[in-house]
Amino acid sequence: MVTFENVSKEYPDGTVAVQNLNLEIEKGELVVLIGPSGCGKTTSLKMINRLEEPTSGTIYVDGKDISSTNPVALRRSIGYVIQQIGLFPHMSIEENIAIVAKLHKWKKNKMAKRVDELLILAGLTPPSKYKYRLPDQLSGGQQQRIGVLRALAVEPNVVLMDEPFGALDPISRESLQNELIDLQQRLKKTIVFVTHDIDEALKLADKIVIMRQGKVVQAGTPAEIQAKPVNKFVADFIGQERLASVGADSPVYVIMEDAPLVVTPDIDAQLVLEQIEDLGRESAQIVDKSGRWLGMAQLPQVKRAARQGAKVKQAAVAGRKLYIEEAVLSDAAEMLIDADLPIPIVDETNKFVGLVTSNGIAKLTISRLNKQKKMQEQAQLAADGADKKGVS
Amino acid sequence: MYSLGIQSLSEKFLEFWVNFFTYVSANYMKILYLTWEHIYISGIALLLTVIICIPTGIYITRNEKLAPYVIGFANICQTIPSLALLGMLISVVGIGDKNAIIALTLYALLPVLQNTYTGIKNVPKSATEAGRGVGMTEFQILKMVELPLARPVIIAGIRVASVWIIGTATLAAAIGGGGLGSLIFSGLSFIRNDIIFAGALPATTLALSIDYGLKKLQEAMSPKRRAARLNKLAENKAKDSNNQKEMEMDA
Repeated sequence: MVTFENVSKEYPDGTVAVQNLNLEIEKGELVVLIGPSGCGKTTSLKMINRLEEPTSGTIYVDGKDISSTNPVALRRSIGYVIQQIGLFPHMSIEENIAIVAKLHKWKKNKMAKRVDELLILAGLTPPSKYKYRLPDQLSGGQQQRIGVLRALAVEPNVVLMDEPFGALDPISRESLQNELIDLQQRLKKTIVFVTHDIDEALKLADKIVIMRQGKVVQAGTPAEIQAKPVNKFVADFIGQERLASVGADSPVYVIMEDAPLVVTPDIDAQLVLEQIEDLGRESAQIVDKSGRWLGMAQLPQVKRAARQGAKVKQAAVAGRKLYIEEAVLSDAAEMLIDADLPIPIVDETNKFVGLVTSNGIAKLTISRLNKQKKMQEQAQLAADGADKKGVS
Repeated sequence: MYSLGIQSLSEKFLEFWVNFFTYVSANYMKILYLTWEHIYISGIALLLTVIICIPTGIYITRNEKLAPYVIGFANICQTIPSLALLGMLISVVGIGDKNAIIALTLYALLPVLQNTYTGIKNVPKSATEAGRGVGMTEFQILKMVELPLARPVIIAGIRVASVWIIGTATLAAAIGGGGLGSLIFSGLSFIRNDIIFAGALPATTLALSIDYGLKKLQEAMSPKRRAARLNKLAENKAKDSNNQKEMEMDA
């Protein structure tokens, strides 16, 4: 339904918003584009209805190359739900919902009927109560419902949603998300949804596309992404507590430490000792200028080298390490049981990427225990609720 | 002596009113005619101002680089003393109401131009972006989003311009343009306050009523009022259909 083919977008000032994006969005699918701010998700969305033009590459909507269509006609054929609501403040609710139909020059009767229909669909009944109000006479949640209805008014096949629920309070957000799921089950539109809220993405998406610095890092169903994040960025972005069962065969990077102390071999051991003590670490990683891992210096050895006034490489030991591509948690756990010392992780070119410690495993265990506890509590709460209903 | 002074003051006051009413009752046809002339000059000047300034104001929101020059020009026109402007125009268009209309138009450019420009500039970006996103053409964005949202500010500018024009139009008489100013000038040359007042009173009333009228117009056009009207209409309709149902039931 919507296809990106080698699409790139570079702004005149040289910033690259989207880089060689390839993406296939199937008919009836709800695809969520997600990533930290500046990752190119909104730009990608806006390229679909030509609010932004790609610098290279082609986008197809319904099989047609959109660069050859009239942008105004294209936008009228695609529903668009705008960030921060974006209703017209001077138009009544009815006029706001009917604006696209009006641009399509629908007959007045047909337009009025459609507006009523949509208001009923969104549970804003009776329609006459809401139709003639102005947007600021409705609550934020109601306003955003109108924003969604406006996008659905002329029954477009494709709907774009740009952080539609971002400005709402948690309760309205939750209920609008539920309504959207409900609506999508009935209407089966092709929806491209942009958000930075991972919970929202996991809840709504048929497919999640995680972006970073203009590139797709990983695309897949929520379950796939939760089960097998492709790298540390994705794992961090999803958050440990949301990762599906982290198990013995999960990759080591899910517990990799963020900012280990890294030094070059020819620094005085005394300086390294000060840094280790300042930061409260137990070891320093020794890495050459091109980032290749040379060894690890433990606190006692560094102390000894410092007393002797030697360089830090004197204290280095280069025995244990794990390769990021192949190592799994059980490997790390066995090594930690063997000797409770940090384990450096390197890539296939022996470049240092991070550190795994027993601390990381402990944190993982705690977060899993908490998750279990939370689920038990929720189950208990649900059971209590059922009891009360039964009594009354 | 004091009481005599006060007495003479109140006598003067009384004398003024007597003279005023005598003058007005003897010359009401003339005053009406001059009022008409005043409305005519001011009206055309205001119309010209609006016709020139609103499109220009819109144009300079699209061509930002021009904005400081265009607004600067209007600003200069407004700073030239109006009497001097009228005088200078004599050498270009001669004397008479044409001269007065041109001078008044130039004089009143600034408020309408400035308010059109800022009014449109201040339309929230979310609204224009929404317009573009739902598939409006640039012209439709202007017509359906920007102008309606900028309207209160633009009308405020027109109100200021209309008061300026009606007030300054009294000077038109100095260059043979006619209007209520002729009464004020003849009152000045005869040192007759009653005649001055016979010119000033209708001019002031005119300015205040146009200002008030435009204000009411803007209020009536405001989205809130419109929404309230539509709501009432809907309520009445609902009531009517209920009544009808009841009547049918009774029958």
